Amino acid sequence: MVQGRTCESIVTKKPHRIDYCEVTGRLTAGNTTLDGRKTMIGKTRRKGTWLAATVLAAGSLFATALPAHAEPGVSAREIKLGITLPLTGAASPGYNKIGNAMNAYFKYVNENGGVYGRKITLIQKNDEYSPQLAIAKTNELILKDKVFALVGPLGTATYTAVHKSVGLAKRGVPSLFLNTGFSGFSDKKSYPTSFMVLSSYAMEAKIVAQFLKDNHAGKKLGLVYQNDEFGIDAITAFKAAGTKFDVTVPYTSGSQSAATAQTWVSQLAAGGAQVVVFFGVTSATAPLLAVAAGARYAPQWILGSVGSDPLTLRALGVPVAVLNGAQTPAGNPSPNDTSDEYVKQFQEINTKYNDAPFDDYVLQGMNIGLMTVQALRAAGSNPTRKKLISAMESKGSSFASVAYSPLGYSKTSNVGHTGYYMAVMDANGDRKPFGGTVKLYTTDSGSGPVVLSTFKRPAMPAKGLPSNS
Amino acid sequence: MELWREERHAVRKKIALFILLGWLLLVIGDRVDELRVYQGAQIAMYTIALSSIVLLTGYSGQVSLGNGAMMAVGGYAAALTLNNLGSPVWFAFLMAIFFSALFGALLGTAAARLSGPYLAGTTLALAVGLPAIANQFSFLGGEPGIFFDVGLPAQSLGEEFTQYKWFFWIATFIALLSLFITSNILASRFGRTWRAIRSNPLAAELSGIHSSRMKILAFTISSALAGLAGAVLAMTISLVAPGAYTLTLSFALVTGAVLAGVSSLPGVVLGALILVAIPEIADVLANRLGGGENVSNYLPGLIVSILLILSVIFTPNGPGENLRKHRHKKASSH
Amino acid sequence: MQKLLETVLIGISTGSIYALMSLALVLVWRSTRVVNFAQAGQATLSTYIGFEIASRSEIFWLGLAFAIIAGALVGAGVDYFFMRVLFKHAISGPAAVVAPVIATLGLLGLIRSIVGLIWGGEFKSIAAPASKDGFTIGQTTIPFSALNVLIIATVSLILITLAITFQRTNLGLSLRASAYAPEIAQLAGIRTARTRTIGWAIAGGVGGVAGMLVTSYNFLSPYSLDLLLVFGFIAAVIGGLESMVGSVIGALVLGIGLTFILNYIGTSLVFIGGFVVLIVVLLVKPDGIMARGKTRRA
Repeated sequence: MVQGRTCESIVTKKPHRIDYCEVTGRLTAGNTTLDGRKTMIGKTRRKGTWLAATVLAAGSLFATALPAHAEPGVSAREIKLGITLPLTGAASPGYNKIGNAMNAYFKYVNENGGVYGRKITLIQKNDEYSPQLAIAKTNELILKDKVFALVGPLGTATYTAVHKSVGLAKRGVPSLFLNTGFSGFSDKKSYPTSFMVLSSYAMEAKIVAQFLKDNHAGKKLGLVYQNDEFGIDAITAFKAAGTKFDVTVPYTSGSQSAATAQTWVSQLAAGGAQVVVFFGVTSATAPLLAVAAGARYAPQWILGSVGSDPLTLRALGVPVAVLNGAQTPAGNPSPNDTSDEYVKQFQEINTKYNDAPFDDYVLQGMNIGLMTVQALRAAGSNPTRKKLISAMESKGSSFASVAYSPLGYSKTSNVGHTGYYMAVMDANGDRKPFGGTVKLYTTDSGSGPVVLSTFKRPAMPAKGLPSNS
Repeated sequence: MELWREERHAVRKKIALFILLGWLLLVIGDRVDELRVYQGAQIAMYTIALSSIVLLTGYSGQVSLGNGAMMAVGGYAAALTLNNLGSPVWFAFLMAIFFSALFGALLGTAAARLSGPYLAGTTLALAVGLPAIANQFSFLGGEPGIFFDVGLPAQSLGEEFTQYKWFFWIATFIALLSLFITSNILASRFGRTWRAIRSNPLAAELSGIHSSRMKILAFTISSALAGLAGAVLAMTISLVAPGAYTLTLSFALVTGAVLAGVSSLPGVVLGALILVAIPEIADVLANRLGGGENVSNYLPGLIVSILLILSVIFTPNGPGENLRKHRHKKASSH
Repeated sequence: MQKLLETVLIGISTGSIYALMSLALVLVWRSTRVVNFAQAGQATLSTYIGFEIASRSEIFWLGLAFAIIAGALVGAGVDYFFMRVLFKHAISGPAAVVAPVIATLGLLGLIRSIVGLIWGGEFKSIAAPASKDGFTIGQTTIPFSALNVLIIATVSLILITLAITFQRTNLGLSLRASAYAPEIAQLAGIRTARTRTIGWAIAGGVGGVAGMLVTSYNFLSPYSLDLLLVFGFIAAVIGGLESMVGSVIGALVLGIGLTFILNYIGTSLVFIGGFVVLIVVLLVKPDGIMARGKTRRA
């Protein structure tokens, strides 16, 4: 009886719902047995009511418009930025310093007036280098913390996943200075709001290929690479350049350990590789070099720019001496080179605002900070996400940056730096340009030639505080 | 005849309840911001995953620490189906159920011979080992995984209808449907038989129950649910990757199931809510405490662990049981 | 042939560390009927303490000694303050099957979070007590090093000490008796509760050694001993959970088996390899390799 009443009460209040109620009731009633009919009609009427209420209420809700949004992350006093990077876990050594270095630089800028009076706040989130955590954390940055832009998100696999899953392009979220050199991100159509900063792994591989040809011709070559987009980017470029490796050892990201490094070294040694090129992260370099030293296997190492930071290696328990003589492509000056105006300024900031030892990662973090401030200034005193992106496109290529090579930003390109020089490491882990002076080579990620460049980078802004507009 | 009508009656009542629930969720989904909508989808995913544990552990009495692995099977089955066959999305979800059920049946056959700690160990080894297989075979996409893209919401839903709301709708629909089906299975002859096996295996055997056959069935259905949850998880992150189905996930699921009362199906919603809410609460607390990185990284784990320990000691069968006991005491004292 | 040799040698070295963890699990299982997942957490905490001592004093062995002491104290503490409370609230109903497992999982999370709060998630490393440089046989150098020898020697020493304790001392007799038949042991005047706590302490100390040894050739982080737990547990199950000898044999079988997979098949299949080894053993002998009908081995 109660059910019947429910139906009626709705009927009396909102007559237009009757049809639904009765129609459903009739339909279901047709399936019931004769003696059950009356009850069933009563019951199904109630169900019909629920259904009607559901559909109508849900429908009415669509009509309610959502309020328009103000520009996220920007207030009169603050600009909120976000970054995801591995702060803990297998891939974290080294990278976990970048966020703090950026923060230190931002603190320095904030104490000197900020950007058009706004202080920069950087929110760091730990993604442990795992794609699904990166997605979750980026979601938090964008939906919960409502950051204005992402700066320096790190990792190829993680950023690929984030870009696709969170829909950065669709949401129009600017994503500046990716800490990855995967050349796939240079596709401006698919990544209209993303901007690279590192020279791509493909460029790096092409320049290494040229170097192998010039300096290690006729030797047996080995290659150890991280078996994801990062390493495959390099492999593709090596293939295009015609470099043939006698031994190739792929490793899975996250699998690097002393035990797995033993299998790499036995493969390299068994293949008799005299020159070994390495494209992987520092937590893989460490066991590789340590195990190789243990097994008295000493080829000429050519360590990719990603995994060759001496301080990080030392923190991982690898004696820096094993780096002695290793050759490496580099984009930035050595972090110990105090004759460099950028390095000197950044070191001063690091001493004052950051208690980390000054290494390549801190240098990189500071430099991303410097470029971020230039980009924010270029976006004007009332920044919007759209203005920031178009400022990157129109003015980005003239930004000051510590790296020696030119920046490639334009309306049609989101490519950052475009070249490397080859360096040699010494027993203290310091690096000096190969042959004594910096010979910068520039190239692209495609089939363009490798060219010896005469480019002069812009000077460091006075006191490291950009004044561009 | 009367009994049959009673049952039909109960089922219809349940249908109404679920529709109401779904409607409520839709209303809520429209009223909250996008982050909450996204978390809503996660809650729906955990709800399915937890119901798989309730069925397996709470009813058939088998311990599994490897539900993350079952979820991986479902996630990969769905993604491979969608990407390689270009099938509709619903078919991908169906394949997730099918393959994880198949896998569950195989595993259940082995599991039916194992008891307590042996089963826990076997499933633990599975949880560690299975997702790593993706690194060995290139068609599984290695560590970065493979994409699982269910597509954009229908145009007719309007401009403001975001991707995440679409995920929320799909996840909620699947969760309600699977809760409905599971609750009917648990209320059926099967549910009773499982409970009989769990509380007294010997007596169950003596009264003619094929306990190993029933255990395999429980494993199969539970695995199917887990696989479905795995596909929903893949949908919410647009990706299947070994890193999404870790040991941590498996442990979190067991935690959620215990927090909610391991034999209570309605409890799974609460358990799922807790799993999603705890990192949030921890975040707020960490900001209050201001202890920096370590605090925000490890506080959620600390809260979950303390909750887990307290609930095992004080409400091992879920908060529901204590309430019932309390009411029972009250009633008998009158 | 050389590859085979190095696989077996490395396998024994790896397996011997698994043996310590599986031994710890078996000791607890025999006395308490609980698979102690928190063993990994206890080991992590003791290893961090050992790490602090070792890196300050620059003496590995001093760190190891402290890790053993810390492990024993933590183990005893867990039994005394945690397991006793848990058993006081006798658990019935559907959760009874999972409650002990869940409780120790909760404890694992708790200890791990505390370790994370104190030390953070960065990787730490301890200077190894011996050279990691491989031995040279004739012309070739194999990855088997002095450190591996030292690991095997340390584990052997601990196993022999334990064997003597269990077979030749009154304490060992009480431990075996309480595990075999607690009621009778109690009637015979053994203080079973105290004996059990001692068992937990021994297990904790052994776990601490395992943690320190793993860390001597790898990194230390709040999660770095998870795999040790999983493989130690698999080894214990292979050995039948009851038998200390079985757990050691199980660990060596597993260590060699996994090194074979690593060297001959592929690095990614190591993890599933543990599962395969386990399931094969369990399907052939559901109660482990050392099972003898229904009797319990003391």
